[in-house]
Amino acid sequence: MAVTSLRATRARPRAGARPRPRRENRVAFVMLAPLLALLGVFVVWPLLHAVYISFFTWSFYDPAVFVGLRNYLNVLTDVEFVNSVTRGLLFSAIVVPAQVTIAFVFANLVKSVSRRMATVMKVTIYVPAVISEVIAAIVFALIYTHRGGLLNWFLDFFGIEAIPWLGDTVTALPAIAVPAIWIGMGVASLIMLAGLLDIPETYYECASLDGAGPWTKMFRITLPLMKNVILFLLITGFAASLQFLILPLLMTQGGPVNSTNLPNLFILQHFTTDLYVGYSIAAALLLFAVLGTVSAIIFRLVRSEKAMDA
Amino acid sequence: MRTPLIRLVAAVAGATVLAAGCGSGAGPSAPGKSEITLWQQKFTDQEDAWYKKAVAAFNRSQDKVVLKHVIVPADTWDQKMRSAQAAGKAPDVYTVNYSKVPGFARTGVIQALDPLIPADKWAGLQEPVLASVEHDGKKYGYPMLVEPSAVLFYRKDLFAQAGLDPERPPATWQELIDYGRKLTTKDVAGVVTAANQIDLAWSTWGLQWNAAGHLPISDDWSAPRAADPAYKQLLQVYQTLYQQGIMPKQPLAPYADANPLGQGKTAMMVCGSWAASVLLQDYPKLVGQIGAAALPSFDGDATKPTATLGGWTLVVDAKSRDARASAGFVSWLLAEDTTLLVEFFKNTKFSKYSPRAAVAEAIAKDPAAAENPWAKTIEERVVRYAKAEPAYDWAVSLAFGKAVEKALQGKDIDEALRAADAEIKELIAKNDLAGQGS
Repeated sequence: MAVTSLRATRARPRAGARPRPRRENRVAFVMLAPLLALLGVFVVWPLLHAVYISFFTWSFYDPAVFVGLRNYLNVLTDVEFVNSVTRGLLFSAIVVPAQVTIAFVFANLVKSVSRRMATVMKVTIYVPAVISEVIAAIVFALIYTHRGGLLNWFLDFFGIEAIPWLGDTVTALPAIAVPAIWIGMGVASLIMLAGLLDIPETYYECASLDGAGPWTKMFRITLPLMKNVILFLLITGFAASLQFLILPLLMTQGGPVNSTNLPNLFILQHFTTDLYVGYSIAAALLLFAVLGTVSAIIFRLVRSEKAMDA
Repeated sequence: MRTPLIRLVAAVAGATVLAAGCGSGAGPSAPGKSEITLWQQKFTDQEDAWYKKAVAAFNRSQDKVVLKHVIVPADTWDQKMRSAQAAGKAPDVYTVNYSKVPGFARTGVIQALDPLIPADKWAGLQEPVLASVEHDGKKYGYPMLVEPSAVLFYRKDLFAQAGLDPERPPATWQELIDYGRKLTTKDVAGVVTAANQIDLAWSTWGLQWNAAGHLPISDDWSAPRAADPAYKQLLQVYQTLYQQGIMPKQPLAPYADANPLGQGKTAMMVCGSWAASVLLQDYPKLVGQIGAAALPSFDGDATKPTATLGGWTLVVDAKSRDARASAGFVSWLLAEDTTLLVEFFKNTKFSKYSPRAAVAEAIAKDPAAAENPWAKTIEERVVRYAKAEPAYDWAVSLAFGKAVEKALQGKDIDEALRAADAEIKELIAKNDLAGQGS
C-alpha cells in the first residue's frame, strides 16, 4: 500500500510547481530525432519503396511495368513459397523450444554451482555465439559427412550403418536445426540466467518454509516471474530461426528435394536467378507479414505483463 | 575532450580508408583515357592467370582505354552482380555462360554486339554455337569456348582390380549399373555424378535429349513436355544408382569438381570435359590409369547426344559507360590474333574446344595437344553429337532437375515427372514464355 501511495503522490504535480510538459516533449523529440532519422532513412523509406516497387514487374534495365497485385498472386499461388514458409515454421518449432528449454536448464545449473564453475560454464556456453554461421556450417557439414564423418564414425561403434544426414529428405532439416540451436544457445542462456538471478531468494525461502518442493517452486515462482524473459526469447528466437540463411545455403543448398529450402534461401534463389525482381520483393514482404503475424500470436498467447514483484 | 576528438578523427579516417578499399581498387584513370571494367568469374588458377595476362596485354596494346580486371568467385557471382546492377555499377564487360545470354538479351541486360564488332570478325564461328548467343537475329556475345557438359571418366586400375576390362568402358546404362555395383567398396564409390537439383538441372540436358529426343518444354516454349514417358528411363537410372548405393548418398563434391576421381574416392565419374584439365594438372601420375568415354545412349545409338555444349562468352552490359571500347576489347581478345587464345587452350590442357575455325586449326597443329589423351575421344564421341545449351529460363531446367532429384530420393517417377510438367506449365503462364522460343 505504501508503495502505491508514494507512486500516486509522485504522479501528481506538486502544488505550486509549474508543469512543463511541452518543454519535456521538445527535449524528448530532440533526443529521439537522430534515431528517428536513421530509422526513417534505413527502415521506413526502404520498406515503403519496396512495397511500391512490388507492384511492378521490374528489372534494373527494362522500364518498370505496373502489374498491380500480380507479383503477390504469383507468390501466393507458388506451392514452393508456401512450402518454404511452412518448412520455416516447422524449423522454428524445432529450434526455438529446444533453445529455450536448454537455456532454462543450463541457467538453473549455472545458478546452482560455485561462482568459479559458473564463470567457466558461462564462457563455454557463449562460445558458439561468437562463432560465425559460416564456420558452424562447415564444422557441422564435416560432422555429418556420410563417409568418414565424425557422427557416422561414432555410430559405427554401435554397429549402426552410416546415415546420409544431409542427403536424406527426412534427416536434413533436423540436421540443420542442431547447429541453429547450438549457435543461439549462448545468448539465450545468459539472458535466462540474468532473469533467474533477478528473482529474490526470499521468495524461495518463504516457499520452503511453507513446505513447497522444487517443482512447486519452479511452477509457482520461477516460471511466472520468468514469463517476460521467456516471451522475449520466444519472439526473438522465432524471428531469427525463420530467417536462417547461411546454414541451409552452405550445408545443403536447400536440398535434398527442397527439404531444407527455408524462406530466406528461397527468396535469395529467386532474387539472384529470376530475370525480373518483382517476385522476390513480393515474397520478402509476404515473409515480413508472416513474421509479424506469428510474433503477434506469440504475444497474444504468452501475454506480456509486469512481473509480480514489479 | 581531446581523446574523443582524436577517436572521431580516427574513425572518419578509418571509414574513408575502408570505403576506398571497398571500391574497385582502381586509382584515377589517366587523363584522356576511357576506363572500363571486366568481371571474370573465377575459374582454375591457370585460366585466371591467362585473363590477367590478356588484360595487361590489352592495356599495353593501345593508349585510349584502361581495362580494370576483377575476378569474382562463382558462388558469390550472382549476389555481387545483382548488387552492382542495383547500384548502377555493373561491369562493362563480363563472362557469361551461353545458356544465360538469350534471357539477358530478352530483358535488356546486355547489348547487341553486331553494331560494335565488324561483320568480318564473326566469320569462321560454328553456327550452332553462334546461334546460342543470338536473340531476335542479333548477336549478344562473342563465343570463346565450348566444353561438353557430360563425359564418363573412369579409373582403369580400379576396373582391373574389380575384374573388369580397363579398355572397355560401359556401353549401356545397365552395364554402367553392373560395373558400378562391382566397383563399389566401403571407401570407393562406383560412380559419382550430379546429385542435387541444381547440378542435375543442367548436367542432364544432354541425357534429356538422348532419352526423349527433346527437352521438357516445346521448342516455342508454349507447352510442357516433361511428362513424356520416355523420360522415365532417365529417372530410373538415377534412382537405381542412388538407391543401390552405387553413387554416394551425399555428394563427395559438386558436379563440376573432378577431384574425387583423382583422389581415388570413385571408380567412375560423370563430369564435363574440363575435368581433363584438373586431372592433367593435379594428378599427372594417374593420367595413364584414367580413361574417358561418352555416356551410354538409352537405346544404344551412339550417335545420339549425351551432352550439351556449354561454354563461356564475353558480353557487354547494356549500361556500359563505353560500349564501343568494351566491344573493342572483346573483339581484340576473341576475334583477332589467335596466339593468345591458343595459349588459353594450351594452359587448360586442351580440355576445352574453340568454336572459331582459325583457333581450332592452330590448336590442331600444336604438338602439345597430344598431352590430353582423352581429347580425341571426347571430340569424336561426345562433342560431335552434342547439342547446344537450351536458352529457356533457368527455372524450367530446375523443375526437371527437381524431378530427377525426387527419383533419386526414391519417390515415384511418374509422379515426379507429372509434378515437373505442372510446374513448367505454371512457369510458362507466369513468365509469359509462350512463343518466345525458337
